[in-house]
Amino acid sequence: MYIRPIQRTDLDSLCLMAKHSGVGVTSLPDNRQKMAAKLDQALASFEKSLPLTERVYLFALVDESTEELAGICALESSIGHGDVWYNYHVGKSVHASREIGVHKITQTLYLSNDLTGCSEIATLFLMPNFRNNQNGHLLSRSRYLFLAEFPELFGDEIIAEMRGYSDEDGNSPFWESLGRHFFQMEFSDADYLTGLGNKVFIAELMPKFPIHVPMLTAEAQAVIGRVHPQTEPALAMLKSEGFEFNHYIDIFDGGPSVGTKIKNIRAVRESKTYQVGISDQTPAPDFGVKHGLLMVSNRQLGEYRVLLVDQGAAGDDTLWLKPAQANILHVRAGDTVRAVSLRPKEL
Amino acid sequence: MLLVRPSTFSDLAGIERLLDDTDARVTTLPKERDKLSEKISESDDGFRGDTDGEGPSSFLFVLQDTDSNELYGTSGIDAEAGCGYPFFNYRLDEIVHASHHLNISSKVPVLFLSHELTGRTLLRSFTIDPALTKSDGFDLLSRARLMYIAANSDRFHQEVIAEIQGIFDEKGACPFWDAVGRKFFDMDFLTADYYCSMKSKTFMSELIPQHPVYVPLLPPEASATIGQNHPAANRTCQLLYREGFHQSKFIDPFDGGPVLKAQLRYTHTISNIRFKTARPSDVVGGMKYLISNQSNQDFRCVIGTLVDGIGDSIRISLDVADALNVQAGDDIAYSPL
Repeated sequence: MYIRPIQRTDLDSLCLMAKHSGVGVTSLPDNRQKMAAKLDQALASFEKSLPLTERVYLFALVDESTEELAGICALESSIGHGDVWYNYHVGKSVHASREIGVHKITQTLYLSNDLTGCSEIATLFLMPNFRNNQNGHLLSRSRYLFLAEFPELFGDEIIAEMRGYSDEDGNSPFWESLGRHFFQMEFSDADYLTGLGNKVFIAELMPKFPIHVPMLTAEAQAVIGRVHPQTEPALAMLKSEGFEFNHYIDIFDGGPSVGTKIKNIRAVRESKTYQVGISDQTPAPDFGVKHGLLMVSNRQLGEYRVLLVDQGAAGDDTLWLKPAQANILHVRAGDTVRAVSLRPKEL
Repeated sequence: MLLVRPSTFSDLAGIERLLDDTDARVTTLPKERDKLSEKISESDDGFRGDTDGEGPSSFLFVLQDTDSNELYGTSGIDAEAGCGYPFFNYRLDEIVHASHHLNISSKVPVLFLSHELTGRTLLRSFTIDPALTKSDGFDLLSRARLMYIAANSDRFHQEVIAEIQGIFDEKGACPFWDAVGRKFFDMDFLTADYYCSMKSKTFMSELIPQHPVYVPLLPPEASATIGQNHPAANRTCQLLYREGFHQSKFIDPFDGGPVLKAQLRYTHTISNIRFKTARPSDVVGGMKYLISNQSNQDFRCVIGTLVDGIGDSIRISLDVADALNVQAGDDIAYSPL
């Protein structure tokens, strides 16, 4: 399995994935026309023919034996430029009176565009039949090697928006208590419209004044900043790389935004460059174990590739690749690659 | 004969008994004797025009039966609502949330914290013995305030307001309070109300949430009581509506009760008022009127009959003249009951 930039020929596979992803993965609209536009944007981004702030990098996880698309992931260079980026900032308000002995701390939600200009760890979707052999980790974490390689294409800070809590029937308590009163539609419809990039309606309908959290239902208050159960693993992965809740939440489902400075991401900090050596003797990676794997990128933008190798492949300055691995990475002996362990040491 | 006059310290016991008997919620009249006598003292200063440097005036009247000397009610005026501090209300406004593209358009009611009514003249502290609720005494006690204002109009604002009790039950459960204030004040309605009468108003500024409140976020039982008066205040509302008051966009920030508003000169009492000199007489008939003297400190107002006519003087009964403490040739005012 390896990572490469998305290609024009991937459109059918992308549409198939959108169908699979369903509600909650807003960045994969189940709409061929919109998907084609997204694909064009990604292609132009890798070609550097778009302004920096409009670039979106879409990557595919590919099975080299069949060339089948197993999953996709994305990086946004700078959010909130084409569309307006909304969050609620979760702030504190203190209501205190010494005279009558009251000191009460409450939360207040402030509609904000504060995260505008941040880079974003965006869409990730892995086809169910490929959810094994560290594929999820490779797909998600391969982006950090891209960030490490091309910091000039991104902002200082990067965020990821996590899908908020909803129950088995897809009901979001946060939406029911807040958004529904203003949008007069189902959560799934609002979610769909957002995925289509139709964000004007948010500005038009969203309440502009701060929201007193104590006035929301108890159920809604309980899910502020809480992720969907299926998103827990993704959240854990981001946290292991140094991401933290930044007190911004999604305006629809109350899901948390997590963020960090790019240079502080574990995989960015720990990644190192190596000279490529070619050897048949290099150990084969064992995808069945959690540790002992290295992600290796070829450091190229348009022909970006990442794959997993055994950590035994790394010497002090040389990374020993099997000829097949070097082929996939489009590198030869003497080229440089960037590598880092797939997971943080402590996990 | 029923008489409205300024309160004095000798009324203390009578007012306390009245508050106990009626058990009405009169936030501006505390039941504690110290606080109550403070109010009477402030009122005293108000009537004497003796408030230099002490802020705006307050006036407290009592309704008394001149035969038995019993007290039957109280009513008050703050020359300036808030008495030098911010006077808090919520203003009920509407924001249109519309999306042309999605064909959605809805008016969202929003409550904004407002001090706009600060400095308006406030009618307050109305308490009456339940036995007199359906009598002329009710009108006398309430409208005597407007007669006083008419006699001293330079001391009052052109706009008069009255806060009407909102909805709450015997146990003190108040749906509006429970959905709004309680979340921030951390206390039940009756406790908050008690503090309102006992403490300075600074705690209001400290605790009340500053941001607007979206009404759709409130539970339906709370939003349903916005601008609704307590059934016990029905008669007060009827009287004020007859006077020319109307419901404003403002509500009480605690219980959601309505604030009624009127332009002084268009109130029934003041637009029909006549100023003449008294001619006490033992032959009087005619229609019922509110009749008051024109004294600032020793103001008095009663209900009596007279026959209105042209001329600078008006015949009033000897009883009335006696109760008003006026002699032939003194200035009086009258307005139809």
